[in-house]
Formats: sequence, structure tokens, C-alpha cells
Amino acid sequence: MLNRPPVCLLLLLLISVPSFADDGTEYFEKYIRPVLVKSCYKCHSKDTKEPKGELQLDTREGTRRGGESGHSVVPGNLDDSMLMEALKYEGLEMPPNKQLPDEVIARFEKWIEMGAPDPRDGEAGIIKRTIDFEKSREFWSFREIQSPNVPIIRESNWAKTDIDRFVAAQLERKGLYPVADASPQVLVRRLHFDLIGLPPTPIETDNFVAAWKKDNDTAIEALVDELLGSPLFGERWGRHWMDVVRYGESTGMERNYTYPEAWRYRDYVIAAFNADKPFNTFIHEQIAGDLLPAESTEQRKQHLIATGVLAFGTKTLNERDREAFLMDIVEDQIDVTTRAFIGLTAGCARCHDHKFDPIPQEEYYSLAGIFRSTNTFYGTGGGNGNRQSGKLLTISDQGVQQISVSGGGNKNSAKNVNGLQRQIKALETRLEKSAQQIARASSAAQKKKLNVAHERSEKQLKSLNSRIRQMEKTASGDTKTVSVKIMGVQDAASVGDTQLRIRGEANERADSIPRGFLTIATLGDPHPINSDSSGRLEYAQWLTSQSNPLTARVAVNRIWQHLFGRGIVSTVNNFGANGSRPTHPQLLDWMATDFVKEGWSFKKTIRNIVLSRVYRLSIAENPEAEKVDQGNLLLWRANHRRLEAEALRDAVLFASGQIDLEPGVMSVVTTIGNGDIGRTINSSRFGSNSTKRSVYLPIVRGAIPEILKLFDFPEPSIMGGQRDVTTVPTQALYMMNSPFVIDQSNHLARRLLAEEELDDYDRVVMAYRLTLSRVPTTQESQHANQFLQDAVASLGGGELSNQDDQKTILAWTGLAQALFASAEFRYIE
Amino acid sequence: MTPNYSRRSALKAMSCGFGYMAFAGLAAEAAAKESFQNPLAPKTPHFEPKAKRVIMLCMRGGPSHVDTFDYKPMLAKHAGESPGGVGGLNNQKGRKLMPSPWKFSQHGESGLPISELYPHLSKHADDLCLINGAYTDIPNHPQALVQLHTGQFQFVRPSMGAWTLYGLGSECQDLPGFITIKPPARLGGAQNYGSAFLPAIYQGTRVGSVTDTGIGNLENKNFTGDLQTKQIDLLQSMNRQLAKRHPQNSQIDGVIESYELASRMQSAVPEVMSLEKESAPTLKKYGVNEKATNDFGRQCLLARRLAEAGVRFIELTHEGWDQHSGLKAKLTSNTKATDQPIAALISDLKQRDMLKDTLIIWTGEFGRTPAVKKADGRDHNGTGFSMWMAGGGVKGGLRYGATDEFGITAQVDKFHVHDFHATALHLLGLNHKQLTYRYAGRDFRLTDVYGKVAKKIIA
Repeated sequence: MLNRPPVCLLLLLLISVPSFADDGTEYFEKYIRPVLVKSCYKCHSKDTKEPKGELQLDTREGTRRGGESGHSVVPGNLDDSMLMEALKYEGLEMPPNKQLPDEVIARFEKWIEMGAPDPRDGEAGIIKRTIDFEKSREFWSFREIQSPNVPIIRESNWAKTDIDRFVAAQLERKGLYPVADASPQVLVRRLHFDLIGLPPTPIETDNFVAAWKKDNDTAIEALVDELLGSPLFGERWGRHWMDVVRYGESTGMERNYTYPEAWRYRDYVIAAFNADKPFNTFIHEQIAGDLLPAESTEQRKQHLIATGVLAFGTKTLNERDREAFLMDIVEDQIDVTTRAFIGLTAGCARCHDHKFDPIPQEEYYSLAGIFRSTNTFYGTGGGNGNRQSGKLLTISDQGVQQISVSGGGNKNSAKNVNGLQRQIKALETRLEKSAQQIARASSAAQKKKLNVAHERSEKQLKSLNSRIRQMEKTASGDTKTVSVKIMGVQDAASVGDTQLRIRGEANERADSIPRGFLTIATLGDPHPINSDSSGRLEYAQWLTSQSNPLTARVAVNRIWQHLFGRGIVSTVNNFGANGSRPTHPQLLDWMATDFVKEGWSFKKTIRNIVLSRVYRLSIAENPEAEKVDQGNLLLWRANHRRLEAEALRDAVLFASGQIDLEPGVMSVVTTIGNGDIGRTINSSRFGSNSTKRSVYLPIVRGAIPEILKLFDFPEPSIMGGQRDVTTVPTQALYMMNSPFVIDQSNHLARRLLAEEELDDYDRVVMAYRLTLSRVPTTQESQHANQFLQDAVASLGGGELSNQDDQKTILAWTGLAQALFASAEFRYIE
Repeated sequence: MTPNYSRRSALKAMSCGFGYMAFAGLAAEAAAKESFQNPLAPKTPHFEPKAKRVIMLCMRGGPSHVDTFDYKPMLAKHAGESPGGVGGLNNQKGRKLMPSPWKFSQHGESGLPISELYPHLSKHADDLCLINGAYTDIPNHPQALVQLHTGQFQFVRPSMGAWTLYGLGSECQDLPGFITIKPPARLGGAQNYGSAFLPAIYQGTRVGSVTDTGIGNLENKNFTGDLQTKQIDLLQSMNRQLAKRHPQNSQIDGVIESYELASRMQSAVPEVMSLEKESAPTLKKYGVNEKATNDFGRQCLLARRLAEAGVRFIELTHEGWDQHSGLKAKLTSNTKATDQPIAALISDLKQRDMLKDTLIIWTGEFGRTPAVKKADGRDHNGTGFSMWMAGGGVKGGLRYGATDEFGITAQVDKFHVHDFHATALHLLGLNHKQLTYRYAGRDFRLTDVYGKVAKKIIA
């Protein structure tokens, strides 16, 4: 359904001349009509209440037009006649209960080859599945968000917050009891990873444990407020959001052009989470930032950057058909905005009515009109195989301007930087040589001649050096003379409705559809769209209005998922009929209501959740409870969760002491510049030795950094939101052998050995505390020390000695690496 | 069929599929999946398979079908004429039919017509099933190559190898189940062997491209042999302690297992990749160390070794079949580079009785125009081209499907890329309509809503 069928219009035009031969009609009456009447009309005629597949076989028109799957009969063309495929059971299988006998099928073939003579005049009505919206609204997620009363529970002492009362009520109903609270050592590690994506330092752990002993609640509150206030919070939670909106720094697809300016959106998101930007404002800015009032040029710039989310999706740049290309962008924009904000797969209605949810195809085109009234600025320039180059935007006190981007041959591209660097190197070599020659010159005349050449080279070198500095400045965007380049959108010069496209084919236009929103997600009156604007601002307002039952539910469910490992609705991007049902529907509504009431604040909702008792539970197992609620859907304990790839990498760097917690500046992609990956840019160039947090690594489609890819980083071409957790040997090989893990283990080893006043036993304790946030057991400590001695012996050394001894360092490296590689390191309790 | 996933993704995938069962249903599924299952363990196909593995030989650039496997004598008769009414979708304006510069003759008992460019391969004519009615949607390299591998070019979708691995798992846990040798970095790049929304474990492992020396991370630069064994012992004892503390968490068992498998892979991969133990006659047969055939000979020999070791899906790429000009020289050198190695691969597999369950596929992303604008070059032809299959349950010595008299448009037993996918999966024991994965609220297939199995080619 997301596919455009092959273009076969040309063939159709050539042969679809109706035939009215008398003998043909006789053939039809004798062999074809009776079969249609007997085997097909029941589901495919105007007398049927809702003809299946929008196919009506009781008139010539309907038979030839076909249904939602395609043209059912193309006279003279067996291959393009879907009817034959269905009769032969080669795709569709019709009639469904029993295949027609071979000789009957052969007669249909003959009939089509004859030109499908068919005397049945009469119009085939436009068949539409009628959606009963009132009835559809009975489905849980389309109902108005309730503000349920907080239930009264038996174990009222256990509960700390209302969230606990909702959870406990369901547990009590099943006769389940929550397990004991986790230890403070576990909690401090859990909170650190959940809120900022890094482990606590040993001192932070100690401080928390001490505070906990005084007063549990105060200790947790203080820690939570501290972590929520940290700039590291936005880097952690911003990345969660970037999964959802398929953040990527290249077009992906058949031509993979870079997006050197995509990083601005990343920084915008991180800043938004750190500032606890109200989620409704966050939505408004991303969908319609360019249309919002702004107090300053800087704010206007941030608003514009936010709309980048509509621009950095995948692009099929090699597409010849401009209309098809634009309609693909529209689908991407509809898909990302509906799934991210309201958890509906509206993109499914591009070709036909949604199969499962009450979204008619018309409403897809209501939304499409909004985005067709919008120009998208993604800035890939032109170039080989790029038939759909795009511009960028820039902003100044005078307003927003469009700027062109050149393709792979951009003057600022790294290719040129590299070329310049090569020239500089050559010049330097030449200068060195000529200096020697001058020194050895036998005559004054020769010397003079050489000097002239030498000075000329020096001049050239100076000019090249200044050019390269200028380029680097330009690339970093912080010179006053160079404008800031922004990916984003603008309203088109002419705005208006667009036509429905039959079967989603960009060039098969039907009636124009007024711009508007999804009926099913509108409680109350429809929202009007100003005829002079694209409608994006109204779309954003509709998404966040009181009458939308989905937005707040979808948002709090995402938060919940990141803190418990599973959403209350486990299909976080699908709240439709095919999504799963909420495990705690009342709690979800209560939180959604609270979320809106508290100003759409992510931080407040997160705070409420992590201060609950249920968040504090340990991962203790209980076989009896497991029998009643296997999989712990009701949350009688905490889930053992694997760290995401980013947190895993960051934790390694944090423990080794190598992490650079300063925010990343731009992206590797920015410095490389515009180009086509695999052709003008070798994908190995995105490799990075950066020790900054993982959120700043380049996310180039098709060239994801190895550690991220191995540990289930989501494919950035499609929307994420819910990561896979797979465990495979290539991950183990990475932990055992990759240069990254070995180097970081080496750093940790040196860090441990640098503690001169510690003995080896204490160093082992420190290693455990830095990596696992706990002290080793006696047995673990013995094993570790035994390993160190064995390792030094195997390496041909005698005893463990000081930090300058290579064998000692290697032995400690081996221990550090084992800790990084352990299952415990990558799981949070 | 119930494909296995890791427990978490099983929960996720199944909870999408059975959402209406609400809470009780979910709990039951969780129960069924409690123990750790290796997501790459072999799985039972839908029905008895003819082929157990695939070796796909991708001739990147679009090999000229009328000069290789689609004999068109009418081209000589009408040389220099306009192709007239058989235009197909290509713009045929101003084009003149160009006969093949090469002779075709019949080979084997079946008498398949094969061009003289393939003296070695033609000896295996009775094993080949020539598919002359292949066609694709768009005659551009990027779209066609991506469609050949994933079925669609408009959206990012899992590759054919990933679907195969998802459907069948791997028979060899010491090696990746899907290996692609020297895939192009552009034209979709990693998309052509990616897993898209399928779990990442099903994606292909790239070997020997320019930027990559092979399967990574096989050696620890500090710790080798005994010392690494000691280190892994320490690590595994830590993991076992953790597993003991959390007996119901099978994910930890999964981590323990992954280190065991990884240790085995460390020795198995270099061994299978090394051609050192191959005899001199074998190397000679594949043309290894001969200038023209060395590269592809090594690839083919490696493919045989990987197939023997139990790798499910192996793809080899030979670049440079895009002969808009210099057809005579370039096609000659391409076929010289590949003919002997491919013939050796077929005969080697046959000798080991493996051809019967190894599906060999030879194809480009499209073919080349029989009618030309330049004297010595052919352009892209998507409406009709040829591929061939051998082994794995296809009928040998068969010429299936046909283009028109000049080779421009597929006309008889047309074989779209979707049909190719449906047929290949069928040979592997998988029903292309049932091999689905739920993502974004619906079930996806390799063939989307298309694809017909070409039953006539199945032995």
C-alpha cells in the first residue's frame, strides 16, 4: 500500500479501446456473466452494502476501473488485469472459498484477450467504505482523555504517589504484591542512567547512600532535582526524541547525499529538553516554527531550525518525476507528524482508506494539501544522480531568505579542503627544498633566482593558509559575514488544497480535497484552516488542542517507556486498532491529564514518575507472581533493562575517564560538507575518534558508527521510538576485540594504577565502583586479583608492579575490559 | 511458522500482532518466550525447501542480455533498422538495432543458446535455467539495484538476504548467516544488505569492500590465545554469577552464549576466509592468481567455502557492466573475469553434491538496449533482461520466458523483480505471502502486494 505500482499508463492508452463485436458480447453472456453473477456479485456489486476492496464487478465501468488493488480488467492485457491474478490465486485469491475450475479461468483469459467485450452499461458508483466515526470513537484511544479518580488501595502505606495507587490497585486486583525496594546503590545508578545516561561516580554514590540513610524520600528528591537540572539531561532525553523523528544527516536511499546542517535540529532538541520547553510549544515549533511570532531574530532562528524535522527525512533524489518526489516528501511529513505526535499511522491512507483505523483516504489528502502548500528546504545541492536538488534557508534581521547549495563540488566541501591541504603540503616541501638549494647555491645569480621562486612559493602558501582558515570558519558558521544555513520549511507562494491521488499514484489525480485534519482525532467541531496559509499552524494547534484525545497520551506513554522499559501502550508509535492496548488505561489518562495541566512539562512528568514507589522497586524475582503476571506487565517489580548503545558507549568513556562532556560542535558531516556518500565521500570518513557523548556522533544513513549499530541503534531512515534488544556474537566480539574497548580499558587501567596510595585489592574495588557502581564481593575480588597475577605471569612478568610496567598495565587492561564486557555493565537493574 | 526473536523483540512484535488480546494475551506470549532463544537458530520453513542456501552473483551495472543469454537472431536480420513498434517503455527514438557482435551456439543436451563469451559456463548449460523475460520498474542504476535487493526503491525495506535469514535462521552459528562480498558503497549502499525494520541481527555482513578488511573485531591486539581465554573465563564467571542471582532473566544467558559463540567465530572466520588450504588444482580451476580471473575467482571460491560452512545467503558482486560505450572490449573482459570462476563454482558444488540444494542466481539490475545510438555501446533496458539460476531445485537446461523478437520487452512468462523474489523464497521453502513482519501497524513482505512464483522453472 505504500508502493507506487509500476507506471503502465502508456500501455493502457494504447490498447484500452472498447470492443463491441457482437460475437464478443455473446461470449460474455455465455461464459462470463454467469460466473460473475454466481461467484462475484455477492461481494462486488452495487447491491452489496460495502463492496469488498472497493471493487464493483456488475458494470463494465466498475469491472475495468477495478478496486483499491488495481485495474481488475485491462482489455487485451492479461498481465495487467488483476482479475486474472485473483482467479489464478497468484496474489489475491478469489473467489476466496474455492478456486474456479481451470476451464472457467481459461475462458476469462480468452475474454480479456478478446478485448473484454462487455455490454453492461451503467455507472459504477463511487464505492466508499463509510466510516461510522461515532462508533469508531468507542475505541479506547479515540475517547476523550478522562481524569479518573485515584483508586483507594489496601496497602496505603506502601504508596508514595498517586501513580503508585493506580499501579497497586491493579496488583491488588490480581492478588499480587510489589517486591521490596531496590538498594540505594542500585537506585542511584538507575536514576543516573535513566535521567542523564551516565553512571554515578563513586563519590556521588557514597553521597546518595549517606543521604538515603537519613531520609529516603528527601535523598531521592534531591538527586532527581539535581539530575533534571543537569545539561546532560537534554542529551539523554533529546536522543530519545531523535529516534522517534528518524533524525539523520543524509538522504539515505539510492543516492545518499549529506545534510551538513541537520545538527542544528539536534542541538535545538537538546536545548528544548534542558529548558523543559512545554511539549505543546515544542510541537508548534517543529510543525510551524516559521509561522510563529518571535521576539528576536535568535528566537526566529530557533523556530526555523525546529522545522528541520520536516526536512531531514529520506529523499529519493534520483527520482525523475517531480510530482512523485514531492508526494513522497509529503508522505514522510505526514507519517512523522502523525506517528510521533498522535500515534496514528496516517501514512497508510495514502493509497486507500486505512485498513484498520478510521482514517479515510480523503483525510490523508486533507493533510497532504497542508504539506503541498509547504516548501521543504533540505539543501543537497545538485550533482550526479541528484535530480531533485534542494535549497537551504538563512535568517537575518531582514527575515528569511533562500540560499542555494552546490552539490558534491561545493567550494566549502572537505574535498576542497583536502585538496588545499595537499597543495599546502606540497608547497611546504618545495620551500624546504628550495631553502636547502639556496643555502647550497654556487653563485649569487643562482641564489637570487632561487630566492625569487622561494618568495613566490611563500606567498602562495600564505594565501592558501588564509583560504583554508576562511573555509573552516565558514563551515563552522560562526563568522559574521557568512549566513547561518538552516534546514526547514516555508509556506509556498501559492497555498491551497490538493487532489486525492488514485491508489496513491502521484499523477493519477481525482477530486480536490479541502485541507483539514483527522476526524477521528477531533472531539468537537472541526478546526478551520485559514485559506491564505498552508494550514501547518492550524495543524500544530489542532494536535495540541483539548479536542485531540491522543497527543498527551502518546507523549506520557513515551516517557513511561523510557523509565520502565515498556510503555503502558507497548506500541509507542501506534495507538490504533493494530497497536496494543494499555496495561494501565486509567493511569495513562491520569498522567495525560496531569501532563497538560502542568503545562505539558516533560520534567514534571518524569519527576512524578521517578519519585513514585513503583519506580523504586528492585528487580527481585518472584516465581509465584510470575505465574500470575509473566513478563511483569503489572509492574510488581522493576525490569532488568539493557543500556542503549549510546549509554553503553558513554559509560565506557565515563569509567575510563576519557569522556569529554562539553557539548559537540556541529557534526563531522558539517566539516565534510555536501556530497554523495559512496561516490564523492567515502563512508569511512564518518568514523570518529571523538570522546564526546554519543548523541554528537554523526548519524549518516547507511554509515552508522559501529558500536551504535551493533547495539540496536534504530535504522534512522524509519521512525523509531522502541528499540530492539538483541544479543549476538558480533557484540561480544566488539567488547572482546575492538580498538575502542581495548583503548578505553587501557585508560581505565592507567587511571587505577595512577592511584599510588591504593593497593591492588583497593584498586579492584575502585574498578568495580567505576564500572558497576558497587564494591566486589570477596570472591569476585579474589578472582580479579588471581586473574591479574596470572595475566602478568602469562605475559612473562614476575609480580604486579608499578604503573610504568607494561605487563602490569596490560594485566589491568584485561581486567578493566572484562568489567566493560560483563553482562552487568550493560544492564541496569 | 514462528520465527524466534530475542525475548524482548518477541514481546514487541507479538504484542503488535495480538494487541486485541489485550493483557491476558500478552502475558501468555511472554510466558511462551521466557527461555532465551538465539534469534539466529535454524527455523522450520513453511514447506519442504528445494534450496537450503543462496549464492547470488550480482553483475552490477546491467549486463547486456542480447550479447550473453538472450539469443536474438532477428537483430542481425534487421541490423541498422529502427525497432519500430516494439518500443517498450524505453525511448527508442533514433535508435538502430545492433546485432550482437558475438556468436551464439547451442550447448548441452538441452541445446541452450549461449554466447561465445561464456566458453566455460556453457559447458554447464544443462544445469542453467535461463530466465529471458525478466523486467524491472525503472531503468536507472540506483532504483533498480535497490529494487533488486529489497523489492522497493521508494522506501527503506529489508533486503532479500535479511528476509531469508529472518525466515530460516542460520545453520552455522560460528559465522554470520548473510555475507555480502564487495557490495557497492553507493546506489543504496548498505540498504542492499540491510535489515531496515527487521531486527539488526538479520542484516548482511559486508566483507572486503574498500573500506573494510572483512568481519571486524576478530583479534585482540593485547591478549591472544591462553591469556584471552583466561580473561573470558573471568568474564564468564562474572556473567554466570549474575545469571545465578537472576535465574529468570534469560537475557543474561543470552550474553553468556554470545561470548561462547564469539570465541568460536574468532577462529572459524579466519579459517573459512583463508584460501591457503585449497589445492593448487582447485585454485587453478577458479582462475585464482591468473590476472583476469583472480579477483572473482577468489570470491567464487570463498562463496563455496562459506556455503560449505553453512552460511545461508552469500552475495558476490562484480562491478562494471554499464557499457554505454566500449561494449566489445569491456564485455569481453567482464565475461573473461567471471566465466571461469562461475563455472568452477558450479562444478565444485556439483562435485560435493551441494548444487542440488544451493540456489545460484546470476543477475544484473537490468539489461541493455538492443537498439543503440552509438556504434559500440548499449544503454539501459529495464523492460526486458535476463538472469539465470542453477541448482537449488530449478530446472536445468531450460529457457524460461522471452522478450520480443529484438529483446527489448519481456513478453512471455514475464518475470518481474517481485516474481524473482517470490520464486527464490519459494525455493527456500518460504511462502512469500506468509513471510511477514509487523511494523508500523501492518504486516510487511519482501514482495509487498506483488509477486508470483514461476512454477514452471521448479524441478
